[in-house]
Amino acid sequence: MNEHDLKRALRAEAPPAGFAGRVMQRIEAGETQPRPSRNAPQWWRAAAASVTLAMVLGGYATHKAVEYRRGIEAKEQVLEAMRITSEKVRYAQQEVRAIGTHD
Amino acid sequence: MVEPLAFPSTLSRAQAGDHDAFAELIERHEAMVYSIAYNFSGDRSRAEEMAQDVFLQLYRSLGSIESDAHLLFWLRQVTTRRCIDEVRRAKLKPVSLDDVELSAVEKRHDPLLDRRIRESIQSLPETQRAVVTLRYQEDLDPSEICRIVGLPVNTVKSHLHRALLALRKKLEKHS
Amino acid sequence: MRKFIISIALTLVVAVPASAQKINLDFPGLADRAEEVVDITLDGAMLRMAAKFFSGKDADERALRDMISGLHGIYVRSYEFAREGEYDRNLPNLVKKQLGPSWMPFVTVRSKSKENVNIYANMSGERVIGLVIIAAEPREFTVVNINGPIDMDRLAALEGQFGIPEFSKEKNDE
Repeated sequence: MNEHDLKRALRAEAPPAGFAGRVMQRIEAGETQPRPSRNAPQWWRAAAASVTLAMVLGGYATHKAVEYRRGIEAKEQVLEAMRITSEKVRYAQQEVRAIGTHD
Repeated sequence: MVEPLAFPSTLSRAQAGDHDAFAELIERHEAMVYSIAYNFSGDRSRAEEMAQDVFLQLYRSLGSIESDAHLLFWLRQVTTRRCIDEVRRAKLKPVSLDDVELSAVEKRHDPLLDRRIRESIQSLPETQRAVVTLRYQEDLDPSEICRIVGLPVNTVKSHLHRALLALRKKLEKHS
Repeated sequence: MRKFIISIALTLVVAVPASAQKINLDFPGLADRAEEVVDITLDGAMLRMAAKFFSGKDADERALRDMISGLHGIYVRSYEFAREGEYDRNLPNLVKKQLGPSWMPFVTVRSKSKENVNIYANMSGERVIGLVIIAAEPREFTVVNINGPIDMDRLAALEGQFGIPEFSKEKNDE
């Protein structure tokens, strides 16, 4: 696998025909809010319909989203750090073992 | 000498409320937005949903777009972040290539390298997926990717490096 | 009397604050010359935040979460270069010079063609309270500093998990 393979596999392709029309239909129907995520819990769907409640919760939700993202990033960094640590320790262990078998 | 009239750009016409102009913007960028979502999720109907939502969000945010270049950046950033958030909200475990059922034909002879590459990408953790998609679909370099995903450039380089190692391993294992 | 003096020395070692064990991993200009960089800085607060995102139901994630929960910091700097000779081969010595008397060499591997690896453990009695790994290859330079009590058995128990390769000293797969 090389860069050329990746670029070819990931080349942009058009969405199914009529995509722009479907978006415009939603806009012209007054539906300018995105659909709530299919993964959102039920109580969020109710909150999303209420502009006032959404404004009050907006700041809190943003804070929680940022915190969530930071936590996930920190977890990924822990995994990467432990992977590198174990890789180096393992290499050292193998070399020590190799020396031992040649004695 | 009379200066020719500057024809308003598609963007400025869309910002003025011209729906035809907004539809033109969609047609100009739909492949890019849809493909980021599809290469990320591997699911065409989910990709279309996400892409539609991105353009609805664009419609609401048109006033804040300053230029065609800004529009491109905005679309890439919003699409990528939506994809990442969608995966995290669903708490989807990345699909392991080991779990993907290959058809009997593919097990005997698999010339479909592109599909295997896409499936391998879809099994990566979400940030690595985003970085690889932006790098190879959109041909962006790490300094451009870091602004879209909001991470330091060295972290982006690290994600790219790890993603390529993981992809090579996965593809070697299944070849 | 001698035993008394040794006890005092050990007590003093234990009393060393966590911040004194943190190594300076600032290498100006190295990232700019590198083709690939890993730069991880996780202090105690970040580690406690990360620990919340490890699943308590998954045994592997629980083990890792328990391991990092007591740590004060994990710091990694890894630089990969396009060609040999792109970094100062004296850098490992600059890191080693920062290690005080409580740091013991754990493993030293020297190879002309492959990787030189030095592992140092900061000892408090029989407990390991810090780890520094310095790995120098012709085209890669890596330093890892883990600050805090480390259970080496638990580190070894992370075999085969999260892409962490097998580590066990008991196994002989040669």
